[in-house]
Amino acid sequence: MPEKVIEVRGLTKEYKDLKAVDDLSFDVYEKEILGLLGPNGSGKSTTINSILSLLKYSSGSIKIFGKEMKPDAYDIKRDIGVIFQEVAVFEELTVYDNIDYFCGLYIRDKKQRKEYVDDAIELVGISYYKKFYPKQLSGGLLRRLNIACGIAHKPKLIFLDEPTVAVDPQSRNHILEGIKKLRENGATILYTTHYMEEVEQICDRIIIIDKGRIIAEGTSDSLKKLANIEEKISVEIHSLSDDGIEKAKKLKYATDAVYDGTNLIVSYGGGRDNMTRMIDFLRDNDYHYKKLYSERPTLNDVFLELTGKELRD
Amino acid sequence: MFIHNFKYSIKLLLKNRQLVFWTLAFPIIMAVLFNMAFSNIENSETLEAIDIAVVDDNSFNSSLIYKNSLKSLGEGDERLFNITYTDEKGADELLSEKKVTGIFRIVKNEPVVTVNSNGLRETVLCYVVNEIKSTGDLVMKLGFEDIRKNISSGNKIDYEKEFTDIAQDVLSSDANINNVSTSNMSYIMIEYYSLIAMACMYSGLLSMTLMNYRLANVSAVGKRSAVSSAKKSRIVLPSLLASFVVQIAGLILLYLVLIFYVRADFGNELPKIILLSLAGSIAGLSVGTAVSVMVKAGENAKFTGLVGVIMAGCFFAGMMGVMMKNIVDKNVPILNKINPVAMITDGLYALYYYNSYERFWFDVISLAVFSLIVLLISINGLRRQTYDSI
Repeated sequence: MPEKVIEVRGLTKEYKDLKAVDDLSFDVYEKEILGLLGPNGSGKSTTINSILSLLKYSSGSIKIFGKEMKPDAYDIKRDIGVIFQEVAVFEELTVYDNIDYFCGLYIRDKKQRKEYVDDAIELVGISYYKKFYPKQLSGGLLRRLNIACGIAHKPKLIFLDEPTVAVDPQSRNHILEGIKKLRENGATILYTTHYMEEVEQICDRIIIIDKGRIIAEGTSDSLKKLANIEEKISVEIHSLSDDGIEKAKKLKYATDAVYDGTNLIVSYGGGRDNMTRMIDFLRDNDYHYKKLYSERPTLNDVFLELTGKELRD
Repeated sequence: MFIHNFKYSIKLLLKNRQLVFWTLAFPIIMAVLFNMAFSNIENSETLEAIDIAVVDDNSFNSSLIYKNSLKSLGEGDERLFNITYTDEKGADELLSEKKVTGIFRIVKNEPVVTVNSNGLRETVLCYVVNEIKSTGDLVMKLGFEDIRKNISSGNKIDYEKEFTDIAQDVLSSDANINNVSTSNMSYIMIEYYSLIAMACMYSGLLSMTLMNYRLANVSAVGKRSAVSSAKKSRIVLPSLLASFVVQIAGLILLYLVLIFYVRADFGNELPKIILLSLAGSIAGLSVGTAVSVMVKAGENAKFTGLVGVIMAGCFFAGMMGVMMKNIVDKNVPILNKINPVAMITDGLYALYYYNSYERFWFDVISLAVFSLIVLLISINGLRRQTYDSI
C-alpha cells in the first residue's frame, strides 16, 4: 500500500454567504497523479490554497508527509513545488534568472542550484530561451517557464493548478509529457483542471468536484460507468423533425436522443451493432447526413449525469 | 539566502524602467530643468531687496517681536527688505501702484500679509513673517510654561521679573533669522530642497514594488514566495535593504548633479543635508511598504496612487511655492506635521536660514518617529502568511 502524501479531512472554507469548499476529504498517495476535475468556480484553487496554508480555512485538517500543514511548516514546504494558475514570474528577469531566483528560495548551494536549474530548463524544453525575458515568450513558453520555476528545486510533492490554461496544443502536450516525467522521477502530483481530456491522459485517479463538494472519485474507467452510457453516436444532419427524434429514441439500446439543429446525438446503454442499426435507420427514413461517428462516454457525460450540467458551463 | 534575495532585489529594481525613471532619472531631469529655467531669474533678482509696506499703527508698535525683527531685516547692505512705514491707506496705495511687493500689518495681535501675486518675493515675505511668528510663539510658550511650573511647585513668583525675561527673550528672538538676507535667500535653492525631498520620498516606489512582489495577497510571484521554504523575514528584509541601497545610489547621483553640474551651493551643511536625506529616504521606504501592505488595489493603481500622494505631499510642503506651506500651516497645521515631505523641506530650510540646529534635529527625529510608526503599522501585513481570501 503506497504511503499517503496528503490527507485532507473535512476541509471547509466559507466566505460570507458562500461555501467555497464543503467538507472535502481525500488522500493523495505517493507517486500518483491525482486529478481534481471541476468547472470554473468549483473550489479547486481554494482547495489547493487551503492545503498550502495560504488561505485560512474554516474547519478541517490537512496533513502532508504525515505532518500537520501550517504556514510556518518550512520543513514540509521544502519538499513542495507549486505551479499556480497565474503565471508567476518576474518580467524584469531572464528565463534563467527567474528559475534561479525561485530555486534559490530552497537550494542554497550555488553549484547544486545551477544543476537543478539546467535540469528544469531541459525538462520543460526552453533551453533555447534561457536569456529571453518573459515578455519575449509566447503563452505556451511562458507556461513552461512557470512550471520550471515551480519544480526546479526537485520537490517530492507538486501542485499544478490549471497549468495549461490558454496554451496551444503543442505546448500543452509538452507540458503533459513533462508532468508524466516528473512522476517517473518519483514526484507525487495533485493536478487541477477543467479539461477532462487532460485528466484522462495523465491522472491515475480523479476526483470530480462541484460547488466545493466531491461528487465522484475513482479511475477514469470506473467513473465513466457512472454515466450509464456505453456509447454515443453523433450524426450531422441538417433537417430532422420531432417525429424523427422520437424514432431515434426508440432505437434498440438507445437511452436518449438529442438534436441541436445540426447534430443528432443518440446515447446507448449497451449493444454491439448500434452503428449498423443507426445507418439502417437513416437510410430507411431517407435522412441525408454528412458525418457519422461513434464515441465512448467521456468524463463530461459523467459530470452531466451527476449534476445535470456540462463541465464547461 | 539573504544575499541571494538581496542580489535579485537589486536586479529587479534596476531592470524596472518605470522605477529607474521615477527614482533615478526624474529628479536629475528636474534639477537640470530648474537650473535652466531659474538660474537667470535668480541672477537678476538676488541682489535686490524686497520693497514692502508696513502699517505703522498702535498694534504694530505694541508687537515688539515683529517691530524689531522687521527693523533688523531692513537694515544694512545685505538687507532683505526696503521697508516703507505708512498708514493703512498709504500701504494699500503703494500695493495697488505696485510700488511694494506686499503689506505687513498686525490685526488683532496676529500678523497679516497682503500680496497681489504669487512670486518669489511674495513667497519670501510670507515665509519670513511666518518664521518670526513661529519663533515668537515658541518663546512665549516657554516663558509661560516656566511661570506655570513655578506656580505649581509653590515657588514665589516675581511676575515683573518673569515677564521682563520673556519680553527680553522675545525681543532677542529675531537673532534666529539674522542670517536671512538677499545674499542667501535663493529661490532656486528652495526648489532644489523640494527636489531632494521629493527624491527621498520616491524611495517609497522602490519598497512598494518589491513588497508587492513579496506578498501573496498582492501578486502571483508573492504567492510563489509565500509557499516556499524561505522565511518571510529572509525575503522582506533584503528587499527593504535593496530598496534603500538603490535609493542611496539615486541620491548620490542627484547630489553629484546638483553640486558639480548645476553648481548648487550647500555650503558647510552638506553632511547634515545628507543625514536628513537618509532619514527622509527611510520615511519614503516606510510609506511605500505601508501602501503595498494596506492598500487593496492593483500594482499599477498603487504605483500611480503613491506618485500622486508624494506629489500632493510636495505641493502641501511648498514645492510649487512656499505660500502653500504657509496656507497649510495656518489652516490645517496637522497636515504638514504628518507630511514627511514637509518635515524634509522644513529641515532643509532650518539648516539654511537658522543659526540654531534645534529645528533641524527636531525634523530628523520627527522623520525617524514617523518611519517607525508607519513600519509598525505595516508589520502585521508583512508578517502575515495566511489570508482570508486570495
